[in-house]
Amino acid sequence: MKILVVDDERIVLDSCQKVLEADGFEVYLVPSANKALQAMKKEGFGLLLVDIKMPEHDGMYLMREVKKKWPDIPIIVMSGYPTTNTIEEAVKMQAAAFIAKPFTPDELLEIIRKVIQKEENHESKQSPSD
Amino acid sequence: MFYSTRSKLIASFLVVSFLVGAVSLFIGGQLLYKAVLSEATNRVRLDLNSAREIYLTRIKQLKCPLSITTLGFGFLSALKRHDAPELAIRLRRLAQQAELDFAGIVTKEGTTLCRMGPDSIPKEGIQAPNPIANLALKRRVATSGTVVLSEEFLSAEDPELADRARIQLLPTPRAAPRAEKEELSGMALAAAVPVFDKGDLLGVIYGGILLNRSQTIVDTVRDTVFQQEIYKGRSIGTATIFFKDLRISTNVLTPDGKRAIGTRVSKEVREHVLGKGKKWTDRAFVVSDWYITAYEPIEDIFGERVGMLYVGVLEAKYADMRTKALSVLVLIIVAGMLLAVGLGYILEKKIMSPVHRLIKAGHQVSEGSLTPEIGPISKGEIGVLQNTFQDMVAAMGRRRAAAENRLLQSEKQASVGRLAAGVAHEINNPLTGVLTYTHMLLRRKDIGDDIRSDLQTIVESTERVRKIVKGLLDFSRQTKLDQEPTEVNRLVRSTISVMENQALVKGVSIEFNPGENLPMLTLDRNQFQSMLLNIIINALDATEPGGSIRVSTGVSLSASNAGKKGVEIAIADTGCGIPQEDLDKLFDPFFSTKEVGQGTGLGLSVSFGIVQRHGGTIRVQSEVGRGSTFTIWLPVDERGGEHENIGS
Ligand SMILES: Nc1ncnc2c1ncn2[C@@H]1O[C@H](COP(=O)(O)OP(=O)(O)OP(=O)(O)O)[C@@H](O)[C@H]1O
Ligand SMILES: [Mg+2]
Repeated sequence: MKILVVDDERIVLDSCQKVLEADGFEVYLVPSANKALQAMKKEGFGLLLVDIKMPEHDGMYLMREVKKKWPDIPIIVMSGYPTTNTIEEAVKMQAAAFIAKPFTPDELLEIIRKVIQKEENHESKQSPSD
Repeated sequence: MFYSTRSKLIASFLVVSFLVGAVSLFIGGQLLYKAVLSEATNRVRLDLNSAREIYLTRIKQLKCPLSITTLGFGFLSALKRHDAPELAIRLRRLAQQAELDFAGIVTKEGTTLCRMGPDSIPKEGIQAPNPIANLALKRRVATSGTVVLSEEFLSAEDPELADRARIQLLPTPRAAPRAEKEELSGMALAAAVPVFDKGDLLGVIYGGILLNRSQTIVDTVRDTVFQQEIYKGRSIGTATIFFKDLRISTNVLTPDGKRAIGTRVSKEVREHVLGKGKKWTDRAFVVSDWYITAYEPIEDIFGERVGMLYVGVLEAKYADMRTKALSVLVLIIVAGMLLAVGLGYILEKKIMSPVHRLIKAGHQVSEGSLTPEIGPISKGEIGVLQNTFQDMVAAMGRRRAAAENRLLQSEKQASVGRLAAGVAHEINNPLTGVLTYTHMLLRRKDIGDDIRSDLQTIVESTERVRKIVKGLLDFSRQTKLDQEPTEVNRLVRSTISVMENQALVKGVSIEFNPGENLPMLTLDRNQFQSMLLNIIINALDATEPGGSIRVSTGVSLSASNAGKKGVEIAIADTGCGIPQEDLDKLFDPFFSTKEVGQGTGLGLSVSFGIVQRHGGTIRVQSEVGRGSTFTIWLPVDERGGEHENIGS
């Protein structure tokens, strides 16, 4: 599965790449919302991992844009400063999950697995009706 | 404002004392005057009696020498012989001894045989009538009394006597008008004794004293009755004998010091005494002064009112007595008023000085001082006022301290919050890197145990950092409360149950005393629970094995927000207690006495934030070595209606 990680911090991108690739995911890294949108036009991703606080366009903007064009792609929101407000907003944007930085590899993988599983369940429920 | 109280007090004192003084002065003056007047009038009345006695005694004294003369050796035979020269000698001797002004002998036919005067043996012819002798002849008994003597009689007796009797009428204000300019007749005291020889009336011997210009009687009255009492150079007492309304014998003096012979009595007195024959006692203006006077009529031997006897006491003495008494009274009143002023001043000082001090203290308080000088506490209401004032200031101080404390706390929280947010955000990204890379390294199978243990240490330290940052974030977060109606007791019980195991392990007992009939509270259960947990954990940390933690709930009124109803949750431990100097810092973020790595010092500051956001307060009471009690007070939301927590 292809996962797109969006964060303005190099170390976060690298960390995610290390963890996810070790677990067999195909990982794409972009440092901004715009780059992310460009990348999404080229590739089809199974999951987005997005940081909220970024210069220029923030994670919320990106989520809105993504939901417009690719409403089915699940998005996991990351934040180093998780306030109730940001979490609430993320939920409103129909983020699939929320993860607070810092996290351990296990924590990240657990959340990603949960999301994927939920997504699969969702699809399998929906498929008969298609 | 101060002065008006003082002047009001003094003025009211003054008014009262003035009124009392004026009334007592008026009444006292009046009473005093009446008393003095009646006293004086009584005295004068008595004096008049004495004067009358003297007057009558003098009359009686006339008869005696006359009678004795008739008994004298050879008198009878001389009279029988009508031996005028012999009798005249005897008469002269008699007159000299008895101090008579006139004396004579009348034959039984009524003609004067002889008299003591210069024309001692009258020639035959018409004689002036002799009222006293005639009366004695008629009555044939010794007769005495007052008689009016005509000018002719007097000049026949002795021309000098007639001269003495002649009195010029002086113009007197208020006297009844009289036509004549002169009084020629005289008034006399006279006696006549009939002389018998074996039952045959031989004649009458008569004698008397002319009252006109005589001084003896009036002066005797003055000297015996009034005992020559002198007042301001004048004798107090005066006596006068009036002939009709004319002063003929007196020691009342005119302003130039002469006896006031020739002046007359006022018309009023004349009518009353001479006219109606009554006594008169009253205040009267006599010649030139006011006197307290008494008059009574004098009747002559025929029972006619011919004159008056008067005594009078100078009113000036009594008036002065009254003035003296009144001035003493005035003095007392003035002294009273002065006393009132003084008393008012002192009282005002005594009463108002604590009030002034209170006013000053009030100014001090309004200028920010919380330790105003009130001065010594007085007794009574003022003292109550002072105590109340002090209590009020103390309460203000407490409330202000609490408010300042809250303000400081929330300022601290806000600034630390901003800092924490920035720091957390910056730190959490690299922390993600550290955590990820160390964990990835730990996954590798090709590392030695020593490296693995080092990596483990990195992970642990990083976890600590993460915890601290998380705590910072919790602390700084002004998260919205997710409130719902909550049964406090249930929430507390469930929180305690979380801790029960841990406490059991440590050997500390936890008990819960739920209060009854607690109202429902609207709370963010998660935040509230974490707050409670933190405080209970702190208590558990502070308490040695064998100690206890008691949690209790109850309805209570706010300590700082007077009268506001709320619910209190108290967590009391028997732990180590908190030193006084730490109490202030307790709620500061990062204040911890625990070992490094054990406590971040954020627990209580976060708890404080949570309670504060619920509108409540946290109080701490602690004694080192005995334990601490944390009391959380939460307001009851009265708008939302209270739900009684039945069956808790
Ligand atoms: N019940 C108590 N008895 C004695 N001391 C206490 C009690 N509660 C708190 N303290 C003192 O207050 C300090 C601050 O407490 P606070 O909960 O804020 O931080 P902490 O417990 O040290 O760390 P943290 O709660 O963040 O792990 C504690 O370190 C302790 O010294
Ligand atoms: Mg604590």
